[in-house]
Amino acid sequence: MIWAIFGTMVVLLLLGFPMMIPLVAGSLIGFVMLFGGIGQLDTMVQQILGGIRPASLIAVPMFIFAADIMTRGQSANRLIDVVMAFFGHVRGGLAISTAGACTMFGAVSGSTQATVVAVGGPLRPRMLKAGYSDKFTLALIINASDIAFLIPPSIGMIIYGVVSGTSIAELFIAGIGPGLTILLMFSIYSYFHALRHDVPTEPRASWAERRRALLRALWPMGFPAIIIGGIYGGVFSPTEAAAACVLYALFLEMIVFREMGFRQLYATAKSTGLITAVVFILVGAGAAFSYVISFAQIPQAILAGIGIDEMGPYGVLFTISIAFFIGCMFVDSIVVVLILVPIFAPVVQATGLDPVLVGTIITLQMAIGSSTPPFGCDIFTAIAIFKRPYLEVIRGTPPFIVMLLGLTVALIFFPQIALFLRDLAFR
Amino acid sequence: DTWRYAFEEALHEVQGQFAQKFKEEVEANSDHTVQLFPFGTLGESADIMEQTQSGILHFVNQSPGFTGALIPEAQVFFVPYLLPQNQDQLVSFFRNSKAIHELFPPLYEQQGLELLTMYPEGEVMLTTKAPVASPEDLNEVKVRVMTNPLLVSAYQAFGATPTPLPWGETYGALQTGIIQGQENPAFFIESTKMYEVTDHITRLGHNNFTTALMANKDFFDGLPEEDQQVIRDAVDAAFDYIIDYQTGLSDESLAKIEEAKPSITITELTEEQRQPFMATAEAVEQEFLKIGGPQAEAILEQMKADLAAAAEAAGGPVADETPTEEAEAPAD
Amino acid sequence: MLEGDDIDDSQYVSGLPGPLGVLDAVIARLEAVLLAIGVMLMAANTVANVVGRYVLGRSIYFSEELNQALIILITFAGISYAARHGRHIRMSAFFDALPFRLRKVMMIVITVVTAAGMFLLAWYSFDYVLTQASRGRQLPALQIPQWWIIVWVPLGFFLTGVQYALTAVKNVIDKDIWLSTNTLEGYDDSREEEV
Ligand code: NA
Ligand code: NA
Repeated sequence: MIWAIFGTMVVLLLLGFPMMIPLVAGSLIGFVMLFGGIGQLDTMVQQILGGIRPASLIAVPMFIFAADIMTRGQSANRLIDVVMAFFGHVRGGLAISTAGACTMFGAVSGSTQATVVAVGGPLRPRMLKAGYSDKFTLALIINASDIAFLIPPSIGMIIYGVVSGTSIAELFIAGIGPGLTILLMFSIYSYFHALRHDVPTEPRASWAERRRALLRALWPMGFPAIIIGGIYGGVFSPTEAAAACVLYALFLEMIVFREMGFRQLYATAKSTGLITAVVFILVGAGAAFSYVISFAQIPQAILAGIGIDEMGPYGVLFTISIAFFIGCMFVDSIVVVLILVPIFAPVVQATGLDPVLVGTIITLQMAIGSSTPPFGCDIFTAIAIFKRPYLEVIRGTPPFIVMLLGLTVALIFFPQIALFLRDLAFR
Repeated sequence: DTWRYAFEEALHEVQGQFAQKFKEEVEANSDHTVQLFPFGTLGESADIMEQTQSGILHFVNQSPGFTGALIPEAQVFFVPYLLPQNQDQLVSFFRNSKAIHELFPPLYEQQGLELLTMYPEGEVMLTTKAPVASPEDLNEVKVRVMTNPLLVSAYQAFGATPTPLPWGETYGALQTGIIQGQENPAFFIESTKMYEVTDHITRLGHNNFTTALMANKDFFDGLPEEDQQVIRDAVDAAFDYIIDYQTGLSDESLAKIEEAKPSITITELTEEQRQPFMATAEAVEQEFLKIGGPQAEAILEQMKADLAAAAEAAGGPVADETPTEEAEAPAD
Repeated sequence: MLEGDDIDDSQYVSGLPGPLGVLDAVIARLEAVLLAIGVMLMAANTVANVVGRYVLGRSIYFSEELNQALIILITFAGISYAARHGRHIRMSAFFDALPFRLRKVMMIVITVVTAAGMFLLAWYSFDYVLTQASRGRQLPALQIPQWWIIVWVPLGFFLTGVQYALTAVKNVIDKDIWLSTNTLEGYDDSREEEV
């Protein structure tokens, strides 16, 4: 049964069907096989609806909305200018600033796609002008966006938290360490890349220019303050923080900067709704598929087959990393989490692994999957907004992927990278 | 045959213990096997209920608090201070209640369900950041409750600010201070680590978390008499088992919590301290009569009569108006 | 997510002829409005809940259910809107590598199969809505029948199916390859393919 299902799904996917069809087909075959016909498809509909029901998923459209408003207006650009004013003169400074901008934007956004658009949009032209190759630039942008996924808030962590019942606040704090580690790794790599290719630096900004940039970014600096202060100060939940960002972004772009009118607000909301719909129908279809897998108790069979119960904590963590890495390469990472997290839950519990560490490692794999071929969503986003062919977008990615996998291994052996801050805050 | 049985909690929690006992009994006394699906594996509480109604699942354990969306009368278990705090009275009530054994089954039947049993899961306790001894102490305190109008009005009547919040965000919200309290049975407070983010556990005695096991009616009616008997016997055995299992469970859970967090305070309010809380029950009763469906009044009256009978049978003092109120379901 | 990518609804041409086309164009506009309003309401509702909690000391107890209703509305108004404009996410790397004739045949197969799948789901979600209505499940906070917030589901699937069916027809009668009735497949339109 399982091979019929997976086989059909992969074939339909590769043939270019809309991605909801492979997922729907997978669950359809499952339902027919489980119940001997299509008489119980009501339940499939129920599961599709159940998939998009969790209240915390509301954060997804809200952050897309906020980021879109900021990118269309001035907030995103002004934030980037600050980073540039301080690091533009350093060797590889523009590249490092790009990674830095992703980190900063990450404190506002939980989505890698939003980060690719918001940071990559304005910075790619500047990097090309400064003499970086497009191959390096594109790879840096789509991979540095992963930082935003690990720095709180993070859609991946929200969904993992909901599915696994893990504290989202703890996950958020645990993401900071790995996020900053990626920034460090990419900065070092960028430095040597710039050195080897002799990329010129920008002139050092004067303190007056820096001051000016800071002043111009005073209002947009409210975003991190709202989110971090708001969540950790007990004003609102992560989901509500996303909506608060929308409100603040609207306040800035419509009233303070007067960059956006009602017409654009409408267009932005519509575009957010559209992106939400095409992503959420996949989340729903993924939930229906996951129901079949769960009902037929397939994962139990597979996991029993590989003997995960006898592996011990390191074995389990490696297995989880590999499973999620491969899963996220092929399927929307949210769907992967919805399917795989419940499957691994018993063994995680039995091994006594810290669900926050597991969540951080899984979130990292989701982030990596956003930029790995064949289905990385950031690749598609980059193709869409930069109008570059598929192969060109991914050509420069291997060194970045290797660094990120290195971080995965490091997390397994040195969990303190993630847990240090969490323990400081909560233990 | 393989019978599929879904419930709202994890295997190691009360509903899971009940399910495992049921499975053991059925499999020992028949050729059938029972497949268990714990919380979340086939969807949320409403999902497994619907799947049982459509016959994909054979058995479902759902707390009346959730069933209230389908059978409004079931919300009677949200009325505070309806169920007794005395364990013997409580057990006697669940065994003999006419409301449970005669009035509720036809209501479940209308939804295609055979009500097999209702059983208690444990005293609901309030955990908060600041100590609570009177309704005044709850003033401005935001208490997380599950989304239910009766539960909301119960906490409003207590003087608190009831704040519906998804269960997944409750821990974080307590931690960061968005809310300052939540309620659950002790075993659930222990297993979900709610005590880590609150400092005081208060036993208001306002409710005992109640849950129910039911079967798909067509499935059940279609079974030969001996299979039906196997099921009934297994339910009885599981009921006895869970009552026994529960004796001392709250104390055990509280002891574990105290061990993990010595600074926690656990306070059982005195009869006198409970009076002002009990005084608010009347308002919630009225609300129940308003939204509890056509049978609300009959059910409430019968419950009260059953409780008086249970109090007499157990030889205890006549019920102090009995607590109720479905806590946020553990499975939430 | 950039301004240049915004869909101009006034440019939309329905794939259906005559009065049906007019109806289809009206539905298209309605979907667009529902998407935008849905997203804005969701933000407003969520913020209002925070304000209510802090300023008025009362949560909007039905806030979560309202968001649930909105997300269902957005998703199911959105899938047919996305189908109209060829915006559903698909993996086209291998597809793009095929020669023209094969791509054309494949596109017909894809649209026909997708339409069939959508119609099947439309039928069963219609059945699901009826079942929910007959069971009388209520939304606990709003105290309204649960089926009210899911009526969009069969409608959304059905309209999506119609769009894919029309696209299949267009691919049969036209010489080009069409992702939707008014979106050409092809590299320059890649933004129309993947978001
Ligand atoms: Na982030
Ligand atoms: Na990425």
